[in-house]
Amino acid sequence: MQNRLVALFGAALLLLGQPGGVQAGDQVTREKLKAVASFSILGDMVKNVGGDRVEVTTLVGPNGDAHVFSPTPADAKTLADADIFFVNGLGFEGWMERLENASGFTGALVVTSGGVMPIVMRGERHDHDAEDRGGEQDHADQAENEAYDSQGGGNTDPHAWQSLFNGKIYVTNIRDALIAVDPEGQETYEANAAKYLTAIDAEDKAVREAIAKLPEARRKIITSHDAFGYFGNAYGLEIVAPEGVSTESEASAQDVAKIIRQIREEKIPAVFLENVTDRRLLDQIASETGAKIGGVLYSDALSGSDGPAPTYLDMFRHNAGALTAALSS
Amino acid sequence: MIDTLVQPFIEFAFMRRALVGSLAISLTAPPIGVFLVLRRMSLMGDAMGHAILPGAAIGYLLAGLSLFAMSLGGFAAGLAVALAAGLVARSTVIREDASLAGFYLVSLALGVMLVSMRGNSVDLLHVLFGTVLALDDGALLLIAAIATASLVTLAVIYRPLVLECFDPQFLRSVSAWSSPTHLLFLVLVVLNLVAGFQALGTLMAVGIMLLPAVAARFWAEDVGGMIGVAIVSAFLSSVTGLLVSYYVNVPTGPAVILACGAFYLLSMFVGVRGGVLWSLLPRKHLEA
Amino acid sequence: MKATAPAITFHNLTLGYDRHPAVHHIIGEVARGELLAIVGPNGAGKSTLLKGIVGELKPLSGRLDLDGLTKRDIAYLPQIVDLDRSFPISVFDCVAMGLWREIGAWGGLGASGREQVVHALETVGLVALADRPVGALSGGQFQRVLFARLLLQDAKVILLDEPFRAVDTKTIADLLRLIERWHREGRTVLAALHDIEQVRAHFPRTLLLARETVAWGETQSVLTAANLAKARHLIEAFDSHAHAHAPVCDRDDEVRASA
Repeated sequence: MQNRLVALFGAALLLLGQPGGVQAGDQVTREKLKAVASFSILGDMVKNVGGDRVEVTTLVGPNGDAHVFSPTPADAKTLADADIFFVNGLGFEGWMERLENASGFTGALVVTSGGVMPIVMRGERHDHDAEDRGGEQDHADQAENEAYDSQGGGNTDPHAWQSLFNGKIYVTNIRDALIAVDPEGQETYEANAAKYLTAIDAEDKAVREAIAKLPEARRKIITSHDAFGYFGNAYGLEIVAPEGVSTESEASAQDVAKIIRQIREEKIPAVFLENVTDRRLLDQIASETGAKIGGVLYSDALSGSDGPAPTYLDMFRHNAGALTAALSS
Repeated sequence: MIDTLVQPFIEFAFMRRALVGSLAISLTAPPIGVFLVLRRMSLMGDAMGHAILPGAAIGYLLAGLSLFAMSLGGFAAGLAVALAAGLVARSTVIREDASLAGFYLVSLALGVMLVSMRGNSVDLLHVLFGTVLALDDGALLLIAAIATASLVTLAVIYRPLVLECFDPQFLRSVSAWSSPTHLLFLVLVVLNLVAGFQALGTLMAVGIMLLPAVAARFWAEDVGGMIGVAIVSAFLSSVTGLLVSYYVNVPTGPAVILACGAFYLLSMFVGVRGGVLWSLLPRKHLEA
Repeated sequence: MKATAPAITFHNLTLGYDRHPAVHHIIGEVARGELLAIVGPNGAGKSTLLKGIVGELKPLSGRLDLDGLTKRDIAYLPQIVDLDRSFPISVFDCVAMGLWREIGAWGGLGASGREQVVHALETVGLVALADRPVGALSGGQFQRVLFARLLLQDAKVILLDEPFRAVDTKTIADLLRLIERWHREGRTVLAALHDIEQVRAHFPRTLLLARETVAWGETQSVLTAANLAKARHLIEAFDSHAHAHAPVCDRDDEVRASA
């Protein structure tokens, strides 16, 4: 009789101790993994892969300019508390080392662009870049390479996420890093990532189709910030960035004249603004050449949640839409 | 030769607009610069470039990246600093330069704090400061309007202003115009600077205001003459700078200011009033 | 019995800076058309008194009456002229400023105005230098420029604070003649001076100050050895006391008590 009571009592305890619980090691209050992403696009990707298991903080928020970002003590504190820090790499975050040292960050540092084939910004481009990208991409025209002046040195272009193919590399890097830090969530991460990758593939297909519909002669644009190199390569669009017209340096009259001449001669139909720099010079160029101002393209940051590009995939949807709207007419 | 000089302006609208904008600013900024130099307030332009930050920040906080809001805010902040500095200098023991330094530093610090509060890393002042190559209709109208207003105001307060610079005690003893003239002048300074920043960027705005004025000292003996020389040299320097930027592929703002600087150095040596070269040459003295 | 009201009346006037009086309890009158010299050792308060008359200093206590005279009726030549000698302005233009009362901020000089300026320059002997910048003049020449400007102001009351410091004798002689001419024209002239002999020779009335009135009246009776010694004494006594912790002055109460 006593044994049965003990057994019953013991069983009751066991059952009470695990309400609804099925698997061993599954707790009710599990602490989320603390992740910090350097800028909004990475932040969005990490949220998609991490799901409920990860709490993501982004340093350079929507519409922010990571090139001129200056971290605050609050940022250092956020980083110090984090388990994992995602950065783009390729020289995008000039402030990263300073912040890491200042915060005494001891977690995992993940460079999401690992494994991406970088392109060189406005320097000579190497042919093997085009070959190595495999069948996922139309073979880039030599003409696209020559869109960049051979002036200026071989600076790596950090905006690798502008190609969805690279985006997938980012996602797999993020997934693998999260698994390494939080092996218990492996299934979740793999499931989330697989779903996301499928969505990316779909978007990639959509963008290609949209661009393919445009007449070939009209597949060129001018944009103020040299951030669309990867996009142009991947989707067959010629990007001309006015030299010297960026957040840092001041333009010369010769540069502006060259762009205007080029637009006139090559009949480039549209000029695009980018959401972080001063638009006046571009407005001036557009009004003088009759090129259309095609609207805003999102390059280095997502828009706010009420804007047209609150997520990575929305960004592509918006950019592709703006491009086709301006170039098809 | 003429063709080389003229061709860029024929071919490109942006060059023509830059020319018109430069002409307008060359009419309005140098006269003010002459008075700044005579009153020993030459560093005010630089101070103003920093002082406008909290105003631009508030404009940004309220209306986002709206050039209008930020310029208006910047103007208000600049005006507040200039007027406060002017009033303090007139009614306390603090002199004009110290007074301005005090206020603009406070303003700048306030601005930096406001910008950081938003948490965004948009370089506000960078967005606010323009370039002479990007003068749209709005900017041209703004400069033209301010040029007109400044010239008219200067014409009206010319005599009291000269006296206020030369012998403020005497002006106070014969007229009630002393304070209003001083404060009106400060308003003109801030107006021209803020419009200049917005249209042309800080370097060109401050440079066009001061360098021709400093150089003019070597050519003229009276205020009117100095103003004339300053205006002409400002405009010629602008044209030179634009052409150099076009043919030699260097940024325009610095090119214009370096042209002004070259004229300044030239004036220092061969200017007819006090040029160094003349004092080195042996010349017979006059009879009286 | 005076036929007209005095130009300036001092009612127990005390003037100073930051609660420290530079000149105390001045009581008296200056008649219209009077030529008055104000003398005293250094630190006697001569400049302070003139500043009080022209309104640059507010009285610490007491009152000053100007018999209906306004700022426009007073021309003031301060001792340290806060003026920029290097300013690019010609002698002619500087002197022409004296006509401000007539031409104001915008009026043109006109032919008659120009004539007046030339005339003033002639009076001080500077016509030949009319087009020179003021920075090119000597100390004496510049003082003449300021006098010429004063001339054009055509003021009823003229205040001169040490006008002859660091000026050559010929200029002094010429400018004294000008002062005497003003006196003949019926203007009220007050001049703070340091040269006692000059005062004896040219000024009929004198106020001897040593932070307070020592003597006031006919020059001969004021500038006695005894008075001058008393003035020196008062200043020396004052100088030897530190006045950083001066008590509040109760002289007014004494005066009221004895009245």
